[in-house]
Amino acid sequence: MATRAVDVVAATTIPKPKSMAAQTALVRIWTTGTAIICGALVLLMLLFLFAFAWPAIKYNGWTMLTSIYWNIGDQYATGTTVHNGVAAQPGANFGSLVFIYGTLMTSILAMLGAVPLSLLVAFALVYRIPARIRPGVNALVELMAGVPSVVYGLWGVVVLVPFIGQQLAPFVTSHLSGVPFVGGAAGSGNGLFASAVILALMVTPIMVATMRDVMLAQSKALYEASVALGSTSWQAVTRVVVPSVRNGVFASVLLAFGRALGETMAVLMVCGAAANEFPSNIFQTVNTIAAIIVSQLESASTDASGIAQRSLAELALILFVITLTINIIARLIMRGTDRLGKSNA
Amino acid sequence: MTTMLQEPPDVAVSAKLIIRNLNIFYGAFHAMKNASLDVPANNVTAFIGPSGCGKSTFIRALNRMHDLTPGARVEGEVLLDGEDIYAPSIDPVTIRHRIGMVFQRPNPFPKTIFENVVYGPRIHGIGGRAQLAEICERSLKRAALWDEVKDRLDRSALELSGGQQQRLCIARCLAVDPEVILMDEPASALDPIATSKIEDLINDLKKEYSVVIVTHSMQQAARISDLTAFFLMGELVEVGTTSQVFTKPEDKRTEDYITGRYG
Ligand SMILES: Nc1ncnc2c1ncn2[C@@H]1O[C@H](COP(=O)(O)OP(=O)(O)OP(=O)(O)O)[C@@H](O)[C@H]1O
Ligand SMILES: [Mg+2]
Repeated sequence: MATRAVDVVAATTIPKPKSMAAQTALVRIWTTGTAIICGALVLLMLLFLFAFAWPAIKYNGWTMLTSIYWNIGDQYATGTTVHNGVAAQPGANFGSLVFIYGTLMTSILAMLGAVPLSLLVAFALVYRIPARIRPGVNALVELMAGVPSVVYGLWGVVVLVPFIGQQLAPFVTSHLSGVPFVGGAAGSGNGLFASAVILALMVTPIMVATMRDVMLAQSKALYEASVALGSTSWQAVTRVVVPSVRNGVFASVLLAFGRALGETMAVLMVCGAAANEFPSNIFQTVNTIAAIIVSQLESASTDASGIAQRSLAELALILFVITLTINIIARLIMRGTDRLGKSNA
Repeated sequence: MTTMLQEPPDVAVSAKLIIRNLNIFYGAFHAMKNASLDVPANNVTAFIGPSGCGKSTFIRALNRMHDLTPGARVEGEVLLDGEDIYAPSIDPVTIRHRIGMVFQRPNPFPKTIFENVVYGPRIHGIGGRAQLAEICERSLKRAALWDEVKDRLDRSALELSGGQQQRLCIARCLAVDPEVILMDEPASALDPIATSKIEDLINDLKKEYSVVIVTHSMQQAARISDLTAFFLMGELVEVGTTSQVFTKPEDKRTEDYITGRYG
């Protein structure tokens, strides 16, 4: 009897599974469609950059990646030099090694400071700060994340750079004169260190916000569970909290790193706009890919051969490839640690 | 207020936990007001009361979980076998080893079932694979979960159902071999079948452990507990044997709550 009743119910609801199947199909089409469009957009952008940069890629060859000299050539010369079938002004040489180095170094240095700081702040926010004042601190973090980069840059110019140039760098360089990356000339305050500090300040609120959400989402209950089993706070953090938030934290670091690599304005304002040489220590001037593209845009547009502009596009392509590569590597690493813990996500 | 509370305990021999003049503050908020209570060994003691009355606040004081809550302050005495767990010389970590806790929401670690159960023993220095396997099996059997998971101990604990996860958390707690088990609404997130499994389990556990359980359900308290304590607005209103509290409560407020007048 019971099965009969079930059959009847099933019979009366036959159209429902059908329309539900149609709905699921629609959802699937919608989601895959969105994914394809996003992928296609990225690909299109890459293709466009590549096509526009193509003459520069031909002209520069490996020089782009191996040379430290950036020179758009003699704009008042009458003739042009031709290389690999592409014409440029005489003396033109487009090498980006200094900029690649500057991009990576400023960002890595920034992350070295910002990651531990963000972890600490996020941890304190979730575990140590009384519930009463937490909303205030949260609002502050969100506020800092929303400050425009040019404001950070301006603060850098007015406060940070003079402090480094007049106080910090002279002190450090004179006391640690023999130490590589630190000893040597003190410089003006503009440069690698100032850029890294600004970048660290910019990405810290972003990381704190995302790490805090990750920790809140899953780890507080686990932390309590571990402590209730008689673990020390340290054991709870290292054995349960860190593994459970590792991927989320990693993703957050990655997001911030990508942001740092591409940050333009604030870095442009404090990096000292170096060209054609590597910094001899962290207080010397640098330049990044994003910063050089902006600062060179105007002079490149006056280049009679047009190759300078296309070389800037090639720079953008390089930055794109760097961020993409880091993303892919990170994703591969995350997949390795992803086996457990995600099954109920 | 019952009168027995402030007197020196002459029943101390059978009392596993003796709580005297317990006051708990969150910042300036006085969340538990001068509560005193004896938790007898090998019994189930239930805490009942409306939401926000301080049941969790009280039970978390019994294994020093408030140490983890920023801004929380505990005053008074909690004696475990006559020894004050809040004495300055006492390490809270060793206390939590002896007084285990199961939480309202199942909170298995994102690890394998096996690793979840042996987490505590590992923390306390047991390393031998055979010994851990033995502890794992014994604890899972004790928590009435063994038959359901014995073939997939190396699978993620997060693949289990909510009720299974909660029994896993109980097994994880038993694996440390505590003397007292605190449970803060262990079945409130579960369906009736899973709930009745947990209740059977609790009934079984009191043979070896002292159990303190917070529950929203008066029926549940009546079914499984020997003693019942009724809380209201940060106050321990009444404590007595479960049958006494439910049939002839001494305090008017208890009676009102039991008969459903607080909603
Ligand atoms: N961390 C905290 N900070 C500040 N106040 C808190 C905190 N935890 C609880 N409280 C307050 O203390 C009082 C008692 O809360 P508690 O969680 O002990 O109630 P409860 O009886 O367990 O309620 P429920 O049945 O809903 O779980 C409530 O007024 C609550 O708002
Ligand atoms: Mg509660």
